[in-house]
Amino acid sequence: MQDIVIVENLVKRFRDVIAVNNISFKIEKGEIFALLGPNGAGKTTTIHIISTILRPTSGRVLVAGHDVLREPGEVRKKIGIVFQEPSLDNQLTAYDNMYIHGRLYGLGGEELREKIMRLLEFVNLEEYAWKKVVYFSGGMKRRLEIARSLLHEPEILILDEPTIGLDPQSRAKIWDYIRELRKLHNMTILLTTHYMDEAEELAHRVAIMDHGKIIALDTPDGLKNMLGKDVVYLNVNGGRDFCSAISFVKECRKLGENRYELLVDNASKLIPEIIATASSMGLEITEVSYKRPSLNEVFLHLTGRELRDSLEASAPMAFRGRRWR
Amino acid sequence: MNGFNAFASLFYRQVKRWASSRSRLISTIIQPLLWLVFLGLGFGGVFNPENINTSALGINATVMPVPVNVTGIVSRYFNMVFGGIDYVTFMVSGMVAMTAFMGSFIAGISVIWDKQFGFLKETLVAPAPRSVVIAGRIFGDAFVNTLQSAIIITLALLFTNNIRITGIPISLLYVFIMAVGFTGLGTAISLKFSSMEGFQMIVNIITMPLMFMSGVFYPVKSMPTWMQYVAMFNPLTYAVHASRYWLTGADVGFDYMNPLVDIVVLSIISVVLLVVAMRMFERATIED
Repeated sequence: MQDIVIVENLVKRFRDVIAVNNISFKIEKGEIFALLGPNGAGKTTTIHIISTILRPTSGRVLVAGHDVLREPGEVRKKIGIVFQEPSLDNQLTAYDNMYIHGRLYGLGGEELREKIMRLLEFVNLEEYAWKKVVYFSGGMKRRLEIARSLLHEPEILILDEPTIGLDPQSRAKIWDYIRELRKLHNMTILLTTHYMDEAEELAHRVAIMDHGKIIALDTPDGLKNMLGKDVVYLNVNGGRDFCSAISFVKECRKLGENRYELLVDNASKLIPEIIATASSMGLEITEVSYKRPSLNEVFLHLTGRELRDSLEASAPMAFRGRRWR
Repeated sequence: MNGFNAFASLFYRQVKRWASSRSRLISTIIQPLLWLVFLGLGFGGVFNPENINTSALGINATVMPVPVNVTGIVSRYFNMVFGGIDYVTFMVSGMVAMTAFMGSFIAGISVIWDKQFGFLKETLVAPAPRSVVIAGRIFGDAFVNTLQSAIIITLALLFTNNIRITGIPISLLYVFIMAVGFTGLGTAISLKFSSMEGFQMIVNIITMPLMFMSGVFYPVKSMPTWMQYVAMFNPLTYAVHASRYWLTGADVGFDYMNPLVDIVVLSIISVVLLVVAMRMFERATIED
């Protein structure tokens, strides 16, 4: 398989904050690759560097064989990108937004007109072609941006949080488009998300990012297999280390003050045994739950934090220049 | 060919955006119109020799040793100062350049607007050469501003009969050249700003003095010496002189000025400012 994106030892530093800390990965042609992680993990910064609008501090990034620093123009031709925040001209119609993009990428004439209508049809916006974008809903804007990013037939489509802030219906639609693109056109897609289900649902491979580093990279199944079949969470009262007592589980880890994570093969059978062990030690179990591992459990396993929790955590945001605020 | 497409793309966008924003169209016309009506017509009366009431001045021609034509003298004075045209015509003909001048800086605001609404990113990831992209944008805005000046000329025809219709196209050429330069300047400044307020402050600091020290409202030669020096280095002075020259025939400016000097000065300044804007945009990242 051919690697269409190669990232090697990428570092990006904003003054005193390290947004991306020495990451490396490769994306194969035709795969859907997800960067999963909380806000501030460095996903967007990584994507901005791949799309040439940020310069890396160090490291090497190749897109379709072109270096982002030496041949940014070539790289820009190969990528289509949908940013996290809309980048449409609200005062113009959907058609004009598409038209301006097309001309900007060197297209024109009847060919461009046909392509615009075909793509607007693909994202079910053909009847809104002549409406000003300012009247569009969030979902419609996102769909229009996807259509626009496909206009110049990029080899790789980059989507930064494609469904953030969208209602479930719009989300499902966007997922459908992504799957269709990959199926019909064998398009390589790189997306970032902080939704576990999105990564699980769409991606062939997922890189989990936290604090500027990639802490795991595998297929969704591969990642979940790290945890075995089931994960048991316990809250145990009493100071003694519970893990040393239960040697019959595959792995036991202390997550917090009284909270433990146990990896087991058959939780429903083992839970009574765990409770029995605890009471024989004089420990009180105040809470038990078990889950089939999803990427959320994987993230919890790797970082000790829930992905949901860390959304609110004050991770260092990639900040902008402080000139003339 | 790709370069041309990118140029056309942004040119089209700036013009289309202007055309679809009625409020911008109206506000850019209203402002010069207010100047025109209140300053132009107001001072027009002051600078009109026919309004001189000799008896109220205490001049009684019959007791003077020699018969004096006060109105005639004052009239000759005003002719000398305003180049032989009435004040409204004087102001209108300069206002044509001023409208494009003000509009050029407003075009800079649209860059900040695009930063905030994200459209700028769309142009930053495009494969087209950045210098061409920004040139398309600047020429598009300069065209829009020239169009606004044309509207002002049309409106001016309601207030004065002394505009030479044949001079309109060539005066607009001067205005366009100037607009390219100042739009370039406005764009270059705004690339460094992320808020409207900061930009607006700088713009007011720059535009107001330049506007008053350009000869739009009063001739440069009656200014205090220090103002005259500023006016000499103010590109707007040359655009005002030229547009007034072609629209009315009045040659009001410094002695060394003529239409040829004007176009050379304006062209050089515009090319320099355009290149500065291109360079800055080439180096722009979203960190700015």
